[in-house]
Amino acid sequence: MPDLFPVWLSIRVSLAATALTLVLGVPVAWVLARRRFPGRDFLASLVVTPLVLPPTVLGYYLLLVIGSRGPVGRLVERLGVPLAFTWRAAVLAACLGSIPLLIKAAQAGFESVDPRLERAARTLGRSEWSIFWSVTLPLAWRSVLAGTILAFCRAFGDFGITLMVAGSIPGLTQTLPLAIYDHVQANQMGEANALAALAVATVVALLIGFGRLGRLRY
Amino acid sequence: MIAVDIVKRFPGFTLDVRWGAADLVTGLFGPSGAGKTLTLDCLAGLVRPDRGRIVVGGRVLFDAETGIDVPPRARRLGYVFQGYALFPHLTTAENIAFGLHGRPRVERARRTSEVVARLGLGGLERRRPHELSGGQRQRVALGRALAIEPALVLLDEPLSALDAPLRRTLREDLARVLGDWGTAAVVVTHDFTEAYRLADQIVVYDAGRVVQAAPRDELLWQPASESVATIMGIRNVLRGTVVKATADRIQLHWRGQTLEAVNSPTRAYLPPADSPIAFFIRPEYVRLIRKDRGPADPQHHMNLMSGAIVGEEDFGTTWSLRIRLDEPGPPAQGGHDLEVEVPHLVYEILEIARDRRWEFSIHRGSIHVLPA
Repeated sequence: MPDLFPVWLSIRVSLAATALTLVLGVPVAWVLARRRFPGRDFLASLVVTPLVLPPTVLGYYLLLVIGSRGPVGRLVERLGVPLAFTWRAAVLAACLGSIPLLIKAAQAGFESVDPRLERAARTLGRSEWSIFWSVTLPLAWRSVLAGTILAFCRAFGDFGITLMVAGSIPGLTQTLPLAIYDHVQANQMGEANALAALAVATVVALLIGFGRLGRLRY
Repeated sequence: MIAVDIVKRFPGFTLDVRWGAADLVTGLFGPSGAGKTLTLDCLAGLVRPDRGRIVVGGRVLFDAETGIDVPPRARRLGYVFQGYALFPHLTTAENIAFGLHGRPRVERARRTSEVVARLGLGGLERRRPHELSGGQRQRVALGRALAIEPALVLLDEPLSALDAPLRRTLREDLARVLGDWGTAAVVVTHDFTEAYRLADQIVVYDAGRVVQAAPRDELLWQPASESVATIMGIRNVLRGTVVKATADRIQLHWRGQTLEAVNSPTRAYLPPADSPIAFFIRPEYVRLIRKDRGPADPQHHMNLMSGAIVGEEDFGTTWSLRIRLDEPGPPAQGGHDLEVEVPHLVYEILEIARDRRWEFSIHRGSIHVLPA
């Protein structure tokens, strides 16, 4: 029986990464869908780069930022919260890899909402914040959910970025994909098989759960 | 009171309009792309004019000079969008209550049920827009706009989404609600009948400018110019030359005839002799002279002329006849000189289908001159 720590770690990391992706990605998606400003095209291209760059390149740049010599790394270390080579770095890595999927799906969802509905809400006395929660999001939430599911799956499966910034420290930062790789390298096929099967089961179970949510009527 | 005086520039289009209206129903009428909806958007605060001033009911909503620009959410104007823009995820009651956000729950419920009752939407409170008919949707959109007790209601082509028979019913419905509610309104339409039926005063737009603003009856009989008459879709807009103009009569020359017209009662128009003049004759005001009552008498039949029917169209309840006068020279409107409209009954009694040559008479009061 393999050590199950990587399974729990992966679930925790990918849920945390998905939450972070939502908090950061939804506002960006809304801005891209609804605002025209200089640099908008640049931002739109920037958010999809994680999809096309090799994970090692992304991991390398992320490490430059959050490593102990990086601008963010130095700041958080002074606060006593090290990032690099901790589970937190794995969360950031998973978030970086998955955020384009959420942004693209949510942006398409927000763009599909008839802007006249938001204009109508404006004439009816609502603030932009209130319009987002009462009109835009209720009409686009299925796209946001679809993006969230994709982002979660991508986060759960991340290998390269996580390896670069969090390492593969057993019992600390070794997520499920990394553990499977290690077992295969060590020729421990039984453990690899068990973990791979668990990975499939976990993802299928979570996807079914999300799918139920998507069938809810608003 | 509404006072609009705004300029808004776009590449290739400039809106530059000034008009005022009493607290009644004002129609903004004109062809598509004339800037009518843009004016509504400026009134509602959804588009910011480059220059000018907007005052509604004594409240300055926009003034470029002093930098006043009340945001749309604070303007308290009810906007009924083209196609209604109802919130598809909300019920009738939730749509109507949408603008009452922030008021105490009890007041919100009371106001919503009051609007539902006044608009005859009882029983539909829990339906979503896709479960409502076109007419019900229109009333929900009106209710949503009226629920906030607006200082002014803006309606953008309120009937354009409907098919013809429903359009007529809902036009009457809308006229009744607006009259009933007593709220000042601005209605945008490109259909003159609609503007005439709904509005007390009509502002005619063309290419981003106001070409005439007048009470509806004045506009109907006295368009300010040939171009206004054309925008209104008036038929038989013709051009002749002035023979003699006095304060109450104008004699003019057209296609070999000397016609006598009544001068405009509100603005005496005194063009010099021999100057060009535009005028129009409504097709339903041209009289056919009955042949069974003896020869036409110029003493009794004003502006008498004769011609032949060169074309006709059946409109179901009326016939439209195209007449070519017995005069040499090219006809005034392509293949014909005048369009004449007669009811089916008259067409049958006079056996027009068989008899193609007629004499016509036009009362001087039915020839309307169009100031240049």
